[in-house]
Amino acid sequence: MRSTPTPTLNIDRRTFDPKWLIIGLIVVFLVIFQVLPLFYLVIKAFFPNGHLSLSAFKRVYTYPMNWSALKYTVITATATMFLGILFAFPLAWLIGRTNLIGSKFFRTLFVTTYMVPPFVGAMAWMRLLNPSVGTLNILIMKLFNLSKAPFDIYTMGGLVWVLTGFYFPYAFITISRAMEKMDPSLEEASRISGATPLQTLAKVTMPMMLPSIVAAGLLVFVTAGSCYGIPSIIGVPGQIHTVTTRIIDFVYIGSQEGLTDATTLAVFLMLIANIVLYVSTFPLAKKQFITVSGKSTRPNMVDLGRWRIPISLIVSIFALIVVIIPFFTVASTSFTVNLGKPLTEAGNLTLRYWERIFTRKAIISSARNSLLSASAAATFGMIITCMMAYLLVRTKAKGRKIPDFLITVGSGTPSVVIALALIMTMSGKFVINIYNTLTIMIIAYMIKYMLMGMRTVVSALTQISPSLEEAAQISGAGWFRSLRDVTLRLIAPSVVAGWFLIFMPCFYELTMSTLLYSNNTKTLGYELYTYQTYHSQQTASALATAILVMVILVNWLLHKLTKGKFSV
Amino acid sequence: MAGIIIENVSKSFGETVVLSDFSSEFKDREFVTLLGPSGCGKTTMLRMIAGFEKPTAGIIRIGNRTVNAPDTFIPPEKRDIGMVFQSYAVWPHMTVFENVAYPLRIKRQDKQTVRQKVEQVLDTVHLSQYAQRIPSQLSGGQQQRVALARALVAEPQLLLLDEPLSNLDAKLRDSMRFEIKEIQKKLGITVVFVTHDQIEAMTMSDRVIVINRGVIQQMGTPSEIYRHPVNQFVADFVGKINFFDATIEEGLLTITGTGQQLDYHGPHTGNVVIGIRPENVRFASRQSDLRGKLASQFYLGDVNDCRIDIGGILMRVIAEPSTYAKYQEGDEVFLRVEDFSVFDDVGFDDHRRILT
Repeated sequence: MRSTPTPTLNIDRRTFDPKWLIIGLIVVFLVIFQVLPLFYLVIKAFFPNGHLSLSAFKRVYTYPMNWSALKYTVITATATMFLGILFAFPLAWLIGRTNLIGSKFFRTLFVTTYMVPPFVGAMAWMRLLNPSVGTLNILIMKLFNLSKAPFDIYTMGGLVWVLTGFYFPYAFITISRAMEKMDPSLEEASRISGATPLQTLAKVTMPMMLPSIVAAGLLVFVTAGSCYGIPSIIGVPGQIHTVTTRIIDFVYIGSQEGLTDATTLAVFLMLIANIVLYVSTFPLAKKQFITVSGKSTRPNMVDLGRWRIPISLIVSIFALIVVIIPFFTVASTSFTVNLGKPLTEAGNLTLRYWERIFTRKAIISSARNSLLSASAAATFGMIITCMMAYLLVRTKAKGRKIPDFLITVGSGTPSVVIALALIMTMSGKFVINIYNTLTIMIIAYMIKYMLMGMRTVVSALTQISPSLEEAAQISGAGWFRSLRDVTLRLIAPSVVAGWFLIFMPCFYELTMSTLLYSNNTKTLGYELYTYQTYHSQQTASALATAILVMVILVNWLLHKLTKGKFSV
Repeated sequence: MAGIIIENVSKSFGETVVLSDFSSEFKDREFVTLLGPSGCGKTTMLRMIAGFEKPTAGIIRIGNRTVNAPDTFIPPEKRDIGMVFQSYAVWPHMTVFENVAYPLRIKRQDKQTVRQKVEQVLDTVHLSQYAQRIPSQLSGGQQQRVALARALVAEPQLLLLDEPLSNLDAKLRDSMRFEIKEIQKKLGITVVFVTHDQIEAMTMSDRVIVINRGVIQQMGTPSEIYRHPVNQFVADFVGKINFFDATIEEGLLTITGTGQQLDYHGPHTGNVVIGIRPENVRFASRQSDLRGKLASQFYLGDVNDCRIDIGGILMRVIAEPSTYAKYQEGDEVFLRVEDFSVFDDVGFDDHRRILT
């Protein structure tokens, strides 16, 4: 009787069913604010003046700067994908399957990076590898007595490096999860058949992981390709424009033609993202071998033997370079008066930038806006996802999969595209005018980040056997009572975790905010970005460090709340 | 030669001692079963023989090779062992043929030999026609036989079986028991089998090692273990048994609280616990060892499962099916006790629960 849906919700099919009302309302919301705007965007690209015309395409894609942006986007995203996997797979294996020293610490470190705003990495590497004043460049020049800086961050290579440093955790998490799900006796069977650990890795672990590795790679490709923060800080100064930076430039032009050009480029991004989403949801997901283990054995840890210390050392150095040094650089920048001089020099240490971020009106009002819109997005997002998750897991209501599908598509759509579609449709052209308000921001955030909450609640609900609710009902509790006394109690930590998983990325969101902000609705991400680019890197760094501390605290809180199940 | 010698092996995970001072010797071609409740350490012992866990102390020898010792560790891949896992661990990305061929390909045997040996072993486990299938197209029982074929293909001298039957349904489990036993006899290999199922242990093994809480309780042939359990745990775990408190004085054993007595001529005296297996009690037509009142009876076809009140205490008796028609609940019955065991009273409280 496991699959029996909750009886009270299912009493009579002829009478009105509240499930359909809920599904209906959510679908209407998503259709109005997500599906129609995206459709409109595509239509507008092909029918810029009301009739079919490819002239916009022709103009946009023959313009050399756009063409090069397209090329750079594809090249950097591809390179980031390969480099990301090259880092992520060995790390996932070493951390999950071997007796690497400090593997728990490394896992937490890389997973935390996932929650850090990517532009923080750009800020750090800009300081470290600036061709003339980069701290690391100067250090290496001194060490090896070079006359010229060895690295220049404002290049394709620099862009790929920074993108990889902040997007490889996406692949790391995907691959680690798949590895955890794999029955360890599959590997043991190979060992006992006479294969060495390395042979086992090559012939059993790798092939079984392949679908997940491909899925992880595609995820990195899309996120890197649709990233705005990093290319705008690292790429633009070096004349490396990507599709996202071009789209935002075009929107800033403000003219109708600019908007059309932005639309035309956005369609390209959307197309790539949708193809990737389709491939990783359908053909790949089917190939992901899920083997249910008869009993939960601890995975057998591969003994690295005499390689244990050298490999642990290499991983430490990697973590130091990719995560710790950048974080430290940003933090130390926030205390430095003159960036050209070392922090230790007399009079160069200051708290004035920290004071500034807590006192300057513009910053405080932006922080308030961000807090407000992120909380609203997280709260409304969780209300929707909780209802959806319940209907999806516990009932057989018709159409319960539609919102799930739409939420997945929304999250897979590049931020730039979502924002652009909202601008074009929600500025009064079609009844609704919420342009220049916080509402438009909240809606954009929800579309982009609701999936995080959805996944968390769905997986928590799936783990709760329906018989627990049924036991409450048989004891006399009504449907609502049993939901309140049993189900909600059990999923509460996951609901809180889901709330933060939506809240955090919204709180420091940059890309959509850049397009959707108005003078009264500037957000923290945008404020930080303008400080970084135009006013004061130190102030920006102080803000970034504050966000970083917050991310770590929230991550720690989530870890406590869910006993380690969700710390992403 | 693939006898196994285990000398004083202990294993702890941190503070938790999983296995303490395990010593035993398995003879070549012997079918040895490690039997015990879940968490007793039997799987850990098997995994140490396989090389997936390292003992905290002690020595393990397979054949004439020391595989585990304080200064020696031979990794699993160098031990020449076949193993069947509880979850089968059949690789989903390979066909049945590739799965089974894997150990041979690792040993770099030539194509012809691989084909021939795989076909032969698939024939042994009755899977010849499934060679090109992928595992997800097979039933649980078939996957299990793929795992068995893979464990046997390289002709190991030692086969380890980790509860391989526990995920199968009852009928299939029955037939696989005999198939595994057949294959073992045919190939003449040593088998170490881990299970918590006493029927599997009884029917398949040459020797059974009963383990509880990481300590060997008893080693012996199935009939020794069943007929002469050394302690209450073994008596209780293997088969069904009634435990009663009793006292022994001058050749007479008195069951506490009932006043009923049995002849006893053994080493025990004073306060003891007596164990009577339900099937070792017969209905008698006139006054015999014990008497009581029939409290309830259940006709199961092959037996009549009764509870008899022997004076304030219930005793379970498994009687001939024909007795069901002869007696009615409430009738007075005479009972002949054909065999019983006596244990020192060590405060083992399990007999106070209702016997099932």
